[in-house]
Amino acid sequence: MKKFLLDYNLKVRLPVIIFVIATVFVITYYISYAERNSIGYAPSQPINYSHKLHAGSVQIDCKYCHTGVNFSRTANVPSVDVCMNCHSISRKDKPEIQKLTNYFENNTPLHWKRVHKLPDFAYFSHSLHVNKGIDCLNCHGDLKLMEVVTQVNSFTMGACLDCHRNPQNKIIDYHKLTNIKKGPEHCSACHR
Amino acid sequence: MLSEENLPENIEENSSNFKDIFRELHSDKEFNHLYNEALEKRAPLDKNFSRRKFLALLGISAAFAATGCSNYRDKGNIVPYNKKPSEITIGNPVFYASTCNVCSNSCGILIKTREGRPIKIDGNPDHPINSGKICTTGQLSILSLYNPQRIKEPIFNNTQISWQEADKNIIQTLIKTTENGKEIALITNGITSPTYKKLIEGFIKTFPYTKIYSYEITGYTNKINAFKKTYGRESLPSEDFENAKIIVSFECDFLNNYPNKLSVLNKFSKNREIIEKENFNRTYCFESTPTVTGINSDYRIVLRSDILEEFICCLINEFHTVKKLSEYAKNISVINLFSKYILSDFILKNNLSKNVIDNLINDLSNNTGKSLILGGIQLSESTQILIFFLNKILENDKLYSKDKEIKCQYPLIKKADFNNLVEKINNDKIGVLTHIDTNPVYHFNGIFDYIKAIEKVPLVITLTEFESETSAQSHYTLPINNYLESWGDYNYVTGIYSLQQPVISPIYNTRQKEEILLTWIEGTHQNNSYLRYLKNNWEKNLLPAFGFPFDFKSFWINSLNAGVVKTNEKINFTGEFKIEPSELSNKPTSVTTNDYVLIIKENPFLLDGKYANNGWLQEIPHPISKIVWDNYATISPSAAKNLSLNTGDIIEIKKSGKSIKIPVLIQPGNADKVISVELGYGRTKAGIIGSFIGTNPICLLNADKDDLIIKDIEIVKTGNTYELVSTQEHYSLEKYKDIPIKRNIIYEFELDEYRKNHDLINSKEVEGINLKTFPSVNQPHKYDELKWGMAIDLNKCIGCGACAAACNIENNIPMVGKEQVKLNREMMWIRIDRYYTGDINNPSISLQPVLCQHCDLAPCENVCPVAATTHSTEGINGMAYNRCVGTRYCSNNCPYKVRRFNFFDFRDNFKEGFLYSEPLKQLSNPEVTVRSRGVMEKCTFCLQRIMNARDNAVKENRKIEGTDVVTACQEACPTNAIIFGNINDTNSDLNKYRNHKLGYTLLEEIKVKPNITYIAKLRNNH
Repeated sequence: MKKFLLDYNLKVRLPVIIFVIATVFVITYYISYAERNSIGYAPSQPINYSHKLHAGSVQIDCKYCHTGVNFSRTANVPSVDVCMNCHSISRKDKPEIQKLTNYFENNTPLHWKRVHKLPDFAYFSHSLHVNKGIDCLNCHGDLKLMEVVTQVNSFTMGACLDCHRNPQNKIIDYHKLTNIKKGPEHCSACHR
Repeated sequence: MLSEENLPENIEENSSNFKDIFRELHSDKEFNHLYNEALEKRAPLDKNFSRRKFLALLGISAAFAATGCSNYRDKGNIVPYNKKPSEITIGNPVFYASTCNVCSNSCGILIKTREGRPIKIDGNPDHPINSGKICTTGQLSILSLYNPQRIKEPIFNNTQISWQEADKNIIQTLIKTTENGKEIALITNGITSPTYKKLIEGFIKTFPYTKIYSYEITGYTNKINAFKKTYGRESLPSEDFENAKIIVSFECDFLNNYPNKLSVLNKFSKNREIIEKENFNRTYCFESTPTVTGINSDYRIVLRSDILEEFICCLINEFHTVKKLSEYAKNISVINLFSKYILSDFILKNNLSKNVIDNLINDLSNNTGKSLILGGIQLSESTQILIFFLNKILENDKLYSKDKEIKCQYPLIKKADFNNLVEKINNDKIGVLTHIDTNPVYHFNGIFDYIKAIEKVPLVITLTEFESETSAQSHYTLPINNYLESWGDYNYVTGIYSLQQPVISPIYNTRQKEEILLTWIEGTHQNNSYLRYLKNNWEKNLLPAFGFPFDFKSFWINSLNAGVVKTNEKINFTGEFKIEPSELSNKPTSVTTNDYVLIIKENPFLLDGKYANNGWLQEIPHPISKIVWDNYATISPSAAKNLSLNTGDIIEIKKSGKSIKIPVLIQPGNADKVISVELGYGRTKAGIIGSFIGTNPICLLNADKDDLIIKDIEIVKTGNTYELVSTQEHYSLEKYKDIPIKRNIIYEFELDEYRKNHDLINSKEVEGINLKTFPSVNQPHKYDELKWGMAIDLNKCIGCGACAAACNIENNIPMVGKEQVKLNREMMWIRIDRYYTGDINNPSISLQPVLCQHCDLAPCENVCPVAATTHSTEGINGMAYNRCVGTRYCSNNCPYKVRRFNFFDFRDNFKEGFLYSEPLKQLSNPEVTVRSRGVMEKCTFCLQRIMNARDNAVKENRKIEGTDVVTACQEACPTNAIIFGNINDTNSDLNKYRNHKLGYTLLEEIKVKPNITYIAKLRNNH
């Protein structure tokens, strides 16, 4: 009887348990993939700013606000005074703009929710990529269509390497870019 | 259930024992019935729901609640500026030109700021004195700005008070003191600022009984006084080191502590060129203890400090009386004063090498007007006069600049003047004593009875950044701004004015020291009053005096931007030399060489002890002994044998009733019977870092003597020992004698030898094998576009440690403290190895900076189990810190031992490593990862700078070139000994070094192909 029980445990019970655990793991892994990589993350911001309106309909260039994007490692979220360039005159009656004006006049810091983030140990340079001619939408998605900024691509090392290895498959309008071959793949390109 | 009503009423009386109560209860039928009834009525859940289950459920639901409620996708906030200053681009540094205030040299600096935080200090390349370089102390002084131990509020007798209150009380006392006709003493260090001088003059006008006591404990006061007595100018000559063919130093550590040191270093290194042309000067150094200057000299002659004066007299006799070298020597007659000093007798008596002295005599006679003889701060005024006299005989004053001099705005006082002050205090003549950023209680501890004296002064004020011995004795302690928060102007060399501007607003409730004085003069405080005063002085007084035709506003903005103003001011140095024969008489006849002599030396990093509270400076190894966090008494090996002393034994040094206890270090190359002790240690109130480190030797000095050499000391072995910690082990010199030369780690040749045969290294064979041509079994990697490499010219490297300092700041390297260094856990990425070769009593001392060699076939890479250290396509051996699991295999397999492991999170683990505390963590360079515990780290060739250069190249749409990148160590090296660049660029400077006949790599035979080339040192001997 003992022997039978052991056989049963080894031949049936154990494989079934392992199979169930593995399946659950694999399914969870794939289902949660987007979630883990923050794809679809769209936090509500202190001011309901619409990229669709500004970048899409009004067609303001990205660099008008994100001034650091071709000078610095960081793209720069615009300081409040950049908004006030226009909004000290335009749409002053709108409640969101009045909120903005309040921030400006009271000198209160404006805490935007961060949407895209790389870990601290990865050093990504906006200026290097943008100056090579890589469009913002390759990583950030088409912000001209976004009412609320949402993360569309995953920001993992795998995603970076995908593009560095096969830029022709990943980069939109790759054939138009003249001075791009491939991205570096060694560790010290990003980690220092 | 059981309730109070159901309990038997007489429970207290009946029970002597609680067990009995329950036994009774259970035997009570009524109770049992009630109990069973209650059990039946109980909620069914109770039957299965144990307490353990409840807790488990509670835990899991709390965990779910925590995960569910916390927004795990939250990535924090981005908080942009509300109104962004226009000069700031976030992520890019902004540089401001200013002036360093660490010593009186007033070097021009360029401060790198990130988003308003200063994070690094470099030299200002446009500054004519230091031309883009800055010393170790200057670089690391940035730590003092963020030091959490700064005094944050004004203090009156240990209680915090407001500035208004302090101002009111002090001004009242100042006025009252002036009415009573008592003296107000201002004790400052050397003043080099013209506007500050004007301010003090204004102070004297308001409070007429004010006296200035300006002193420098490690300054060339004796030399200034000697220059005044001989040439009639109260200053220092600006000497032309570039054209000096022969430099003779008498205890003068001119590569370490000298007026305009960085300019001297730059010019000295120009005379150590090997690449373009062979341009070598010749340096003789007479000294008792090895110094940076001595070990880099072509001839280092070990000589007791107390017979230096006699030796100089012999030289004067030789050149003046015997050879009658110059016109001057022929005309002036002081023959009889020196005729008794016979050089040959002196050589015999002191066992000097006749060859070397003959060479010296020949060199000096053949290079009249082209040599320099220098005396150190230790020498007395009369010795300095003799040295000027000797220079005059050799016509070397031709090398003194005709239109420039080096000058403090106020004459520095001598010890005798300070003695007068103490007497005045004792006679109750001083009403207010103000210490302006000085620490006389520490500096004159034991020489004068200063602590006792100042108790008698009605009001003692100390203006200081940090707690000090002096501030502890003061009524008022007023916190002052760091120099990075201050305005100012400096003029140390004729015609060169450096401007100082703040790069950060005061972190604490502090005021600039000038502003405090101005408040006292004006009676009320106004913000930025000193800035207005400074601008006013420049607009009204200085600018018209220079005759500049500029509009003031644009002049001011441009000058601040440049950091320096060059004017046409000139002095008229005629070279007219006069000397009283009385000054030359009273010279030593002969010295008994049996007594021990103590010589007090200046520390290369801590200076006069002001920066004792700076952990980084404490942890930079001493250039010669490699000892950290301590000072010690050096003793020669033979003297140690006589006294049966070992390194670490504590001795007591006695002199006329006073004594200090200090551990000894057996120092090869130390003069016999000479003990040297360095200044800057033995602080008792210097915060948690600087207090009670080392011993202060200054108390052994006499109040009336102005030199730092103490004769006739007594040495007693105490029998106690103390552990000195050094970064380089003191192996038995006999057993490992000359190993570095035998193993080809260092090469040293004579210049003539090299001139005859350029293939000195290439032809060298070890056991019949030529290391350079010996084949490797490994396939080399291919580097298509770029390959980074470095060359270190050991002819120029003087071992000052500026590279290590720069590396520390640039790469966020923590200090670890003495206990950890003892366990070989120091974190510095560059170490400067020191090797003794030859005779133990006068060894040749060589230095070699060793950092990660970035080998092509790096042994560390093969053994990493997680591929955390990998090779880049540009030849850099990189570290991915987040990948490292800390096996330390790489470190074990590294032949150069350049990898550093974080045994702890050194930033906040120890009292010495408090880098995480506010506001100190703001010092971190945001471009470099801050490493945590369990991670291996090492030199990255300043990867962040390479990436930044690449960014810029892409921005400008061109390819990155080797010259675009300047590593932190290269930028800091004051002698330009470090060259960095692209190996694949055949025309690069780097390749001139790499392909040079004197170039070699470390441990060539193991064929790991390092990318750091060393250029062998040549000594310009006969």
